[in-house]
Amino acid sequence: MKFAPFAALLLLGSAFLHAADEDYKPGPEAEKKEGVPEGKVTQHQWTSKIFPGTVRDYWIYVPAQYKKDTPANVMVFQDGGGFVREKGAFRAPTVFDNLIHAGDIPVTIGIFINPGVVPSAKEGQQSRKNRSFEYDTLSDQYARFLLEEILPEVSKSYSLTDDPEKRAICGNSSGGICAFTVAWERPDAFRKVVSHIGSFTNIRGGHVYPAVIRKADKKPLRVFLQEGENDLDNLHGNWPLANKQMAESLKFAGYDYTLVMGTGRHSGRHGGAIFPDTLRWIWRDAK
Amino acid sequence: MKSILSLLLALPALAICQDMPLSQILIDGDDWEVVTEGHEFTDGLSTDAEGNLYFSDVKGGDAVYKVDLAGKTSKFIKDAPGISGLQWGADGRLYACVAREQRVVSFSKDGVEKELVKEVRPNDLVVTHDGNLYFTMTPTKEIRRIDPDGKMTVVSEGVVNKPNGITLSRDQGTLAVSDHGGKYVWAFRIEKDGTLSAPGNYMTMRTPASKPEIASGDGMATDVHGRYYVTSAEGLQMFDPTGRMGGVIAKPDKDNHLVSVCFAGKGHAYLHVANGGIIYRRKTKTRGALFFEEPKSNEAPPK
Repeated sequence: MKFAPFAALLLLGSAFLHAADEDYKPGPEAEKKEGVPEGKVTQHQWTSKIFPGTVRDYWIYVPAQYKKDTPANVMVFQDGGGFVREKGAFRAPTVFDNLIHAGDIPVTIGIFINPGVVPSAKEGQQSRKNRSFEYDTLSDQYARFLLEEILPEVSKSYSLTDDPEKRAICGNSSGGICAFTVAWERPDAFRKVVSHIGSFTNIRGGHVYPAVIRKADKKPLRVFLQEGENDLDNLHGNWPLANKQMAESLKFAGYDYTLVMGTGRHSGRHGGAIFPDTLRWIWRDAK
Repeated sequence: MKSILSLLLALPALAICQDMPLSQILIDGDDWEVVTEGHEFTDGLSTDAEGNLYFSDVKGGDAVYKVDLAGKTSKFIKDAPGISGLQWGADGRLYACVAREQRVVSFSKDGVEKELVKEVRPNDLVVTHDGNLYFTMTPTKEIRRIDPDGKMTVVSEGVVNKPNGITLSRDQGTLAVSDHGGKYVWAFRIEKDGTLSAPGNYMTMRTPASKPEIASGDGMATDVHGRYYVTSAEGLQMFDPTGRMGGVIAKPDKDNHLVSVCFAGKGHAYLHVANGGIIYRRKTKTRGALFFEEPKSNEAPPK
């Protein structure tokens, strides 16, 4: 039984890390409240030309307070299906309902988009998953997908603002670096970034951002970063170090930014637990 | 409204793809070893069900050579010079790009040649289990297909700058083609009728500092976990099934071109590479996908 002490230690270690992550739970503002009007969530599908051959689901959240004659603020989410889920870590529609009702954030339409897949041609074959390509690539392709395909489509039904100060973009992990890339490439279109456990690592070259930010002219962005001390350390990089590097570079270059460090792992739990505060911070002067 | 992607949504987005570092493939302390040497420009690495290795010597050879499981090299098909791509089909024939003669041919096991097409510029090929042959035409930016009835069509033109290496996903639903004149490996969906659609520059190869836009992607292979391998100027590059680079394995001989890769040997567990006049191999923790077998789903990688 010479492995027993080591195994016990491992078990103890993982239990400890597990508890740290599990401690993060959605708060009261992620629960439906009596008297708070509920927005409407509808589900849609999209076939993209900018990502040829891909299909995806997306959801539109329209707050009860939305009025057709007043263009609404916009917040786009990567991996949208997780953010929109009623029992998920974020429960974004309910949080939006509560915060908009309280007057804490502006009337905002949420667009929750899943990553694309190229469906297989034959039964039994795997779809080509396009998530990493769309989210981890440092280019303007995903921004163009939003600006040339999704926003015009949603605009057919709803009045959306075209003021970049009133457009935010949010994601977890690769969806987090994607949020930054969209605003970095197109500050004329998006200026508010929320990244949870963002993959500012070398999945597809994203580790260069801390260096690039320091030697680029400052862009008019507001950046929220959430990260956990027990996040990933793998072949692509070390997530806590990468996010600290991002924060220090944003500080050096004079950005409006914040980094919330927790003790969580590579999950949305911490980001979900603080999500109402995050929204208040990112929209703090836009009521 | 029912989601067409409900299956995908059932998974937490963060758990879609497992990390695949080189440590899942390479064995600590092992290195490349010479399989066969004394050739001029080895190419066309291919294997059969037993794990024998087949190869050509494009510049100096006059045969399809075979290295058996005991490591003995012999001429398998004589009087067959100038071949740049080889692969066994499910029909038990060995398919070949005869670059020098601008033909694509197949050989029976006893060496009888049958010409499939002529006046083409074939570089490398792959044959699906259902008998569709796809080959790259590097100078003309084309990928062509020869269907089981022998009819040739152009299935991609002008997408890949210099299409070179070519392989399949293990389930044979995706075709991957490396660019010798760019830095991407492109993925295509193979439609039911064998045509290609949905091109994507799915994998970004590492490039030399002196040529930041040109990776010189060449021969390709796939393993049972769905990882893709591509030879290049920087070495043997590995990508996971979602197109993320897993790592770059250094060339055995850095002064020579690395042009072809194949899993062969016992259990198809040995990576073989053509690196100039020498073919090297090293044992791995994985196995090659064999396209003359029934298409299969990717095996889950070890934790």
